[in-house]
Amino acid sequence: MSRIDDFRFTRRALLGTALGGAAMLAAPRAFAAGKTLNVLSHKVHQTVLTAGKSGDLLEGWRKANDAEIVWSTFDSNPLQDRLFREASLGETEFNVGFLIDNRPTAQIASLFEPLDDYLAKAPIEDFKDIAPGLVQAMTIQGKLIGIPVRHATQGLFYNEALLEEQGIKAPPTTLEELVEQAKKLTFKSAAGTPVVGMVLASDLAVFPVMFARAFGGDYITKDFKLVPEPEAMEKGLSVMKDMFDAGALPRSYATTSNDDQVTWLQQGRAAFTVLPFARNAQLNNPQQSKFPGRIKAVEFPISSALKGKMPMSAVVESWAMTILKNSRNKDLSWSFLREVSTKRATLGMANSGNGPVRVSTYADPDFAAANPLAAVEAKVLAHARGAFPPFPEAARAQSIFLEEVQLAVLGRKPVKQAVADIRARVQPLLPA
Amino acid sequence: MNLRKAAEVLPFIAPVQALVLGVIVIPSAFVVWMSFHVSSFGQAPQFVGWANYLKILTDPAFLRSLGNTFLIVLTAVHVELLVGLGMALLFASGLPWRRYLLVAVLAPYAVSEVTAVAMWRFLFDPDLGPVTMVLQSLNLPILDWSFEPSHALIMVGLLTVWLHLPFTFVILYAARLAIPKDLYEAAFIDGATRLQAFAKITLPLLGPAIVIALLFRYIFAFRLFSEVWLLTGGGPARSTEVVAVYLYEEAFRFNAFGTAAATAWIMVLISMLLAAGYVLILRRETAADAY
Repeated sequence: MSRIDDFRFTRRALLGTALGGAAMLAAPRAFAAGKTLNVLSHKVHQTVLTAGKSGDLLEGWRKANDAEIVWSTFDSNPLQDRLFREASLGETEFNVGFLIDNRPTAQIASLFEPLDDYLAKAPIEDFKDIAPGLVQAMTIQGKLIGIPVRHATQGLFYNEALLEEQGIKAPPTTLEELVEQAKKLTFKSAAGTPVVGMVLASDLAVFPVMFARAFGGDYITKDFKLVPEPEAMEKGLSVMKDMFDAGALPRSYATTSNDDQVTWLQQGRAAFTVLPFARNAQLNNPQQSKFPGRIKAVEFPISSALKGKMPMSAVVESWAMTILKNSRNKDLSWSFLREVSTKRATLGMANSGNGPVRVSTYADPDFAAANPLAAVEAKVLAHARGAFPPFPEAARAQSIFLEEVQLAVLGRKPVKQAVADIRARVQPLLPA
Repeated sequence: MNLRKAAEVLPFIAPVQALVLGVIVIPSAFVVWMSFHVSSFGQAPQFVGWANYLKILTDPAFLRSLGNTFLIVLTAVHVELLVGLGMALLFASGLPWRRYLLVAVLAPYAVSEVTAVAMWRFLFDPDLGPVTMVLQSLNLPILDWSFEPSHALIMVGLLTVWLHLPFTFVILYAARLAIPKDLYEAAFIDGATRLQAFAKITLPLLGPAIVIALLFRYIFAFRLFSEVWLLTGGGPARSTEVVAVYLYEEAFRFNAFGTAAATAWIMVLISMLLAAGYVLILRRETAADAY
């Protein structure tokens, strides 16, 4: 008999190997813990809860519940897409999903478990301490569908070293000063790096909305008023166009992404940017940044005409934890939500760079001492609101808005016409 | 074949049929069904007839993306063919270090599209890219792809050609090597020039390979997505969008599954129309060979 015959695969061998292999793959999961909680989230949520500065904040919960947490993480948009797909199925393996506050329309909200009864039966520790605005964003048609877990409030970041190099002693306090400084900071630095005054991503509504709000305007209000102050929007876009024409926004503005904002600031290629305060640690990380400790943040400034008359309303985006309606083991999911929402976990996550949703976290003296931006972030958060409210055609409306903004900033369409077109094109998409 | 015979054969072909049915036929039928409905997450599908098709075909963004797709596909595929043919003839004529050069020519095909786009973005960065800096130092115009839509389309075209040239080259090179040397020897004995040999021997005998290469590249190129998505994201202001990016936006950004499904079917139909001419040529040649 040849050696090949000795090793010949039979159906029985194949079947046995397959069954044995499957059993081996299944075994570790079966023996590791009695229960499994499948969570759909962004990587950052997993990191701040399990591997941040505060360590593993869920170790105690896992032991107490004899449960293992299996994280499936995605970037924001793919995460929301996967979450809605899973929630639309007849049944899903996923128990908990992280939801962004500008997504839950009435239809989307119907995919998630109303949490009011759970909250009444097994309350979350000092629930009123969680910022009411964030809770309201997750209350759709009177039903609470998500527990806020993270907020990203936008601030104005600046590179202190570059400001000093150009003889600027303090960051701007009005929008006009910001424009002036950004123009002055468009230069070749002593290190030989070409610097632009400001870098902004062109694919997010956050930035033009902030510029419009600096003049008292807005994009879509909570009660669905579209561009309520057209002149303010025109002024905001004109400022952006002026900065672009002066080279204070990069020529590649139309293809600049959110990640570019971080790297450009870290590398000293831009002096200003607008990012969530929670990015402070990343921007100053000595392993990534050429300017560790020199990148600081302040509130995005309002225009000089409105300074002192009304507060600047920065854009805030928040995340909440939801329980998928078609999932199993919902009591375990609720237990997870309660644990993550405790004051201890909120503070622990905040120390790892998470925007804390509890007001009391900002009052914690250790947190305030360790986080130089905590006070300013809390002040900005008090007046912050979402870029636009959720509605079924919100994504398409945002795409149209950004298209018109890009045309105006790049000089391919007069600003006035772009604003008029935003109103004409977005209006039919708003809820009746 | 009688019924009994069919029943005997059925178990053997059933797995393949089931696979084709499950992976192609049923999903395609579902997409057809979806294209006649309005549907999104948390919303029951509602029948709307041809409304989705009408909406797409009157949407300026779709028409612009279709125009961009045609422009890139027609240009890139024919440039690939010309360059691929030239290189195949050059390699067949005998080059020193042919093996090493072959590796160099085929290398882009081993690079993933995502990596290739990241590489090209770095090389052609309008501020700090090495290629941009070299062009500027030579007082030559740069490729201002992040600002000028026409430059962005040129960049996408160049990248597509670079990535897919090896495919066209390999097909043509293999076909060229298959042409018997005797034909050229006989032609040269009869006094043919190199150009005449190319026109009368090489080109006609490479015909089927050229048609195959064009056919595949038309179909593949029409699905062009990652080069545009990763390079410009369809911007500035949706001016560089192609049909696949339009479809992606409808499906995964706007969650409008009805219009996304209709877009997918329009893409399939256009691809089939693009390829139809070449398929006819191929069929005619195959039929001619049979006699």
